[in-house]
Amino acid sequence: MARKPQFGPGTSVVAENRRRQMDPSRRLSVIRNVTEEDIVLLLGHRAPGSAYPIAHPPLAEQQEPDCPMRRLVSPTEGAKAGDRVRYIQFADSMFNAPCQPYQRTYVEMYRFRGIDPGTLSGRQIVECRERDLEKYSKELIETDLFDPARSGLRGATVHGHSLRLSEDGMMFDALQRCILDRDGIVKYVKDQVGVPLDRHVSVGKPMDEDWLKQKSTIFHSLVGTPLRNDPEYIEYLQRIHSLRTKYGFLPREG
Amino acid sequence: MADVPEFPQCRIVPMRLLGADTTRRLLDRLATVHGVRRILLNGQNLPSTVPYGPSRGLANVHPQRKKIRVLGTEFDLRVQVGSLVLEVEDKSIIDEVRSLCEDFFTDFSCYVQEGRFMKTRPSLTDYARYGPLPDPAVIGLSDPNRKEDPVFLTEPTGCRGDL
Repeated sequence: MARKPQFGPGTSVVAENRRRQMDPSRRLSVIRNVTEEDIVLLLGHRAPGSAYPIAHPPLAEQQEPDCPMRRLVSPTEGAKAGDRVRYIQFADSMFNAPCQPYQRTYVEMYRFRGIDPGTLSGRQIVECRERDLEKYSKELIETDLFDPARSGLRGATVHGHSLRLSEDGMMFDALQRCILDRDGIVKYVKDQVGVPLDRHVSVGKPMDEDWLKQKSTIFHSLVGTPLRNDPEYIEYLQRIHSLRTKYGFLPREG
Repeated sequence: MADVPEFPQCRIVPMRLLGADTTRRLLDRLATVHGVRRILLNGQNLPSTVPYGPSRGLANVHPQRKKIRVLGTEFDLRVQVGSLVLEVEDKSIIDEVRSLCEDFFTDFSCYVQEGRFMKTRPSLTDYARYGPLPDPAVIGLSDPNRKEDPVFLTEPTGCRGDL
């Protein structure tokens, strides 16, 4: 019997947003435009316009062993070219940021190929081949997975996701990688690890509170949708909690 | 050890982290309230250099990390202020602080809590730093591991406020 993936439980807007982001058959809406050169600047792994440094010769130039797995799985563009493995890391505010670390990993695993995500409570890193990374980063920044004020590109010194926001509504950043300029547009003045950029990189205007509340993927009892308002989600969580606790005692059948 | 007189304390917690200019304006007003003995600024550290990662050691240019001037005294603000702990002469001053905050915070709210938020008796670390007879004015105000002393403000009327 063909099964249709559910992606997650819940009846609340948060649960629906989580499913919408995870489902690869549904397109993410592009709400800002950031050029490829700007993405390269933000990542800080290579100079814009320079060649991709390689970790190994392109696959076409080397003898590959006869392997059924290699016949089955086609390499990504970055793997074909022998690119280095590089990363992008995000921190997402608990104040209704459109995506959250665990959610990011689910989204990327459903939508992208050849990635290695690392998930922590306040940040999420994803590693992959460099030219794949630039393509994925563009999608992660341009779509509604990202908000200029509540999400941040932070390769290091990520602290801020659980703090109160700054006066101007921006998430706290000890390195102040991006600023809310006088024209109301958020501009990155440093790359993701805190190296000052030669020019500012604009990532658009912060979204308003209503939009954030409607697009958020985190439950928040004070500023967003409380988890208690979603009994189906609670039932699912309690079931998982119960099963894994019981399994801790290694129950025997019969 | 001789008994140290204990004074009421309160804590101002704004709903947003304060920028340097707002902190300066708030301190300007708090420091002139008669009966405010000491003010402790708490907040997130803004490091002078990048602490971690590939750019570790690089100068960290941060617009909120700067010198501010309160009652004619200039000092370095190294944190993005999240809360202010005040020690006051008596409880009536707390009501005065509360009404001042209600007037001051117009874009977002804040709450003022009563309680005990900074230590009033010297700890073992204070003993190691200041010796057996420390100045009660500095106990609880600053991290004993810090090299700098607290900032002392002199009000035009002559009463002393410490930051």
